[in-house]
Amino acid sequence: MARETRAAYGPVPHGLDGIAIGPGFRLFAEGQFLLRCESGYGYHYAPGQGVTIERPPRGDPDEETLWLYGSVYSAVACLNGFYPLHASAIAVDGKVHAFTGPSGAGKSTLVAGLGQRGLPMFCDDTLLLDLSDPARIVALPGHKRLKLTPEALALTGTAAQQPVGAETGKSYVAPPAGDVREPLPLARLVFLEQGQVCQWQAIGGAERFARLADDHYTQDLYREAVRPDREMQFALRARLAAQVDMARLVRPISAEGFAASLDLAAARLGVAGKGE
Amino acid sequence: MTKMLTKRTDQFSETAIDEEIVVMSLDSGDFFSLTGTARTIWQLIDGNRDRAALLTALAGHYGCEEAEIADDLDAFVAQLSQAGLIGNA
Repeated sequence: MARETRAAYGPVPHGLDGIAIGPGFRLFAEGQFLLRCESGYGYHYAPGQGVTIERPPRGDPDEETLWLYGSVYSAVACLNGFYPLHASAIAVDGKVHAFTGPSGAGKSTLVAGLGQRGLPMFCDDTLLLDLSDPARIVALPGHKRLKLTPEALALTGTAAQQPVGAETGKSYVAPPAGDVREPLPLARLVFLEQGQVCQWQAIGGAERFARLADDHYTQDLYREAVRPDREMQFALRARLAAQVDMARLVRPISAEGFAASLDLAAARLGVAGKGE
Repeated sequence: MTKMLTKRTDQFSETAIDEEIVVMSLDSGDFFSLTGTARTIWQLIDGNRDRAALLTALAGHYGCEEAEIADDLDAFVAQLSQAGLIGNA
C-alpha cells in the first residue's frame, strides 16, 4: 500500500475510459481511480504509478491531506484487494479492536481516550483488512494521527497539533500512547451507538451478519471499485461474522457518558487503570 | 408419485452463525434468518424427503403429533417456495 499510495503532483485527467466527470464526482474505470473535488483538487491513481495530485491555485494543504488519506487511500486499497471499514482502532496484546459507527459517532474520541489509558492507536477512520489468508483477518495499520473536534479535544484532554482542514473544524492529534506499525489480526469490531444507559453487549447470531450491512462511505467505495455480486458480498460478510467478535457500546452523548463508556471499554479490553 | 422437496442451491447463499442460519436469495437480495423450527426444517430439506417424510421427521425431532405441526410446516415450505429457495424434484 505504501508503494501504491506514494503521491506526486501533476495534472490529472478529467475522465477515464472515455467517461468524463465534473467537480464533485469520482470514477473507477480500467483499474484506476479518479476523484475531482469541488475545491479544484484532483486525484488520479493508476496501478504501479501511485497517486497524482492536481493542486488548485491557493489549494489548502490540509484539505489535500484529508482527501488523500481518506477517500483516495480507501479507493486505492479496494483496487489492491483490501477491504476498508469505516473504523478507528487500538491494539491490545497484539490484536486489533476496532470501533465503527457513522461520522460523529465518537470513534476517534474513544481511541484518543483509550490512548490516555495506554493503548496505542492502530488507525483512525479507515481500517484496511487483508483477507488473503482464509484462516484469519489481518488489519493494516493506518495513518499516524487522530482527527478530533474541539469537543473531543476537551473530553480527552489531548492537545491539537494543526487543523485538519478549514471546513472540518477538526485538529490533528498525536496518539497519546503512540501507534502500531505492523499488521495485526482483527479481533473485535465494536459498534458505537447512542442510548440513555451506558452498556456493552455482545452481538451474536444473525445480527452479526446484519450489522455489517451498515452503510458507510468505505462500503460505497468498495462496491464501486470491486463491483461485487450478491454472492461475493454475502461471502465477505459471512466471513467477517464468523471470524471477528462483535459487540455494541451504547452510551449517552455527554461528558459523563463519554467518561463512563471509556471506563467500560477499558474494562472490557482488560486495561482498566493502565496509564492512570 | 410424490415429489421430493429440494433446495435450489443456485438461488441462494447460506451461512451458519451461532445457532442461526442466514440465507440470502441471490435473485432478490432478501435475507432470511432461520432459528428454531425453521432452522430444523431447512436442515431436513435434503432432496430425499417429500412433504410427508418431512412431517414425520419433524414430528420425531420435536416429539409431537404430526397434526400439531402440519400447518406450520406447510406455511414455512410455502414461504421458502415463494422466495425461490426450494422446489420439487
